[in-house]
Amino acid sequence: MPHIVMESIIKSYGDVRVLDGCSLSVEKGQVMTLLGPSGCGKTTLLRTLAGFVEPDAGRVLVGGIDITALPPNRRSVGYVFQNYALFPHLTVAENVAYGLKVRRRPGPEIKDRVARALDIVSLGPLGDRYPAQLSGGQQQRVAIARVLVLEPDVLLLDEPFNALDAKLRLSMQTELRKLIERLGITSIFVTHDQSEAMMLSDQVAVMRAGTFEQVAPPLAIYDRPANPFVATFIGRANILPVGLRAGAVVDFPAVVAERPDGPADLIVRPENLTLAAGRIDPGTGQSGPPGTVLFAIAQGPTIEYEVDAGFPEPLRVTVNRRSGEVPLAAGSPVSIGVIDPAACRVIERGTP
Amino acid sequence: MKAMTWSDRLWTALFVLLAGFALLLLVAPSLVVIAISFEPRAYISFPPSGFSLKWYQSLLQNRQLTDSIWVSLTISVYVALIGLVLGVPAAFAAVRGTFPGKASLNAFLLSPQMMPGMVIGIASLFFGAYFAFRASNAMLVAALSVFCLPFVIRITMARLAGLDPRLDEASANLGAGKLETFARVTLPQLGPALLAAGAFTFIEAFDNVTVALFTSDVRGRPLPVELYYLVQNDSTPAIAAISAIEIGLSFLVMLVVARTVGLERLGR
Repeated sequence: MPHIVMESIIKSYGDVRVLDGCSLSVEKGQVMTLLGPSGCGKTTLLRTLAGFVEPDAGRVLVGGIDITALPPNRRSVGYVFQNYALFPHLTVAENVAYGLKVRRRPGPEIKDRVARALDIVSLGPLGDRYPAQLSGGQQQRVAIARVLVLEPDVLLLDEPFNALDAKLRLSMQTELRKLIERLGITSIFVTHDQSEAMMLSDQVAVMRAGTFEQVAPPLAIYDRPANPFVATFIGRANILPVGLRAGAVVDFPAVVAERPDGPADLIVRPENLTLAAGRIDPGTGQSGPPGTVLFAIAQGPTIEYEVDAGFPEPLRVTVNRRSGEVPLAAGSPVSIGVIDPAACRVIERGTP
Repeated sequence: MKAMTWSDRLWTALFVLLAGFALLLLVAPSLVVIAISFEPRAYISFPPSGFSLKWYQSLLQNRQLTDSIWVSLTISVYVALIGLVLGVPAAFAAVRGTFPGKASLNAFLLSPQMMPGMVIGIASLFFGAYFAFRASNAMLVAALSVFCLPFVIRITMARLAGLDPRLDEASANLGAGKLETFARVTLPQLGPALLAAGAFTFIEAFDNVTVALFTSDVRGRPLPVELYYLVQNDSTPAIAAISAIEIGLSFLVMLVVARTVGLERLGR
């Protein structure tokens, strides 16, 4: 049985429906990421889990128990805020001790558990400091220790790395992922950063306008995006209007599709396309349409091409660059090929 | 730094002179009053002809005055307490609440400050008369509470607006109920502001004349009213002595507030 279950959560603010029937389940010990552009409802969904937001309809279950009606202070759900929300008038140790004090735990036990929690996040010696005296990364670790000390069933994190600079972010992401794995705590992240989602999670739930577009492991989402929105939100993608004939794409005969003949959209990632100088005889199976280079940038390990191949938008192709290789000049005739036809997606024409 | 030209120096000198003059205007009357209070003779003169503490002694023997000091202290404590009890929840509603008409309510709550004290005094008197209450110190407490409420509300609002509402959520998430969150998170951060608000209200209630003149009890007058009548009939340095004490007390309160809260918080 899944550890966390959300059933058709609906929430509106005035006329705006922020959550439009969100259903999601997370297995015990898994890390789920809610990924989406700002305003898609991901934070509202997280706040619903914590009890800060009361849904208009739907249920929230943790460990099989319906907690929808429970007030936030009676849920065993740790929440790490985007700005950390540390108590400025309390020291680091007092911040971490807060939940234990509220639970009226005996003094020696509090001291013990606070020390252990601070050790886990490597903040042992800083217990007497005030939050204002800490760096952003240290504050984040205090916020995490403050909820972990209570051994919650569930850990919720709202864009926890947003306030950190890029370098620190990477190391904190790795640290946190290790910590969560070690403690085996079911966690849900919210982020709008797709690389963060790829890095941290077992499952990614891509959200748009209050609903889920796709829920799957990160690589599955990358390899088999459900629709153009997901394909372009996670990584980059060419969305090409193509025709189908006899179960294959007309312009890319290698790509088969179990769909009726007629118009369709093809989703193909730039790095799944290849390009050869000159015109190659069609009919070799791998070959795609002929084209003309519009623009090329060498980026060290790769070359990014924009190619006019007769589609409404220029085709984007990313090829690996060999040492010393110079990009083809604009105007060069090329032929386009698909590397892995199985990694292409053929969907109904006009799917958003 | 660039060397100062002659005109720069002239301006600087002029500025210092002006600032000094303004300061003198503000402080001099208080200093003069304190000096006069040491006058040994029975009439007010400046500079004093000698040094004597006899007027301070005479205060202690003047039952009417000592009584009125006591009355004023009591009234001020009541006004400060009532102000806090009514003002803090009002400030909460004004900052945290979401309800229609919030802006107009804010304006309404702060409006007593825009009104002359005299108007509030007279209005209270008429209002009381309408309900067949006579001028009494209870009425004075009520009128002064209305008059001073904006101080409490404004100081509390300023602090509250600076508090992160996420802290309340964090506290709830860590298991605290609403009351415990208020006691453990909100109040400690509000504490200095409440102290400042209370002190400010206390001082204002203690030396208010305009409201008190119309509403205070005929017997058991508060100090400012007592002094007002006293100066009209005779002018001994005793009045200077009591004023000097008041100046000292206000100074003390301000000093305490400055040390614990910081004076700049009162202005905001």
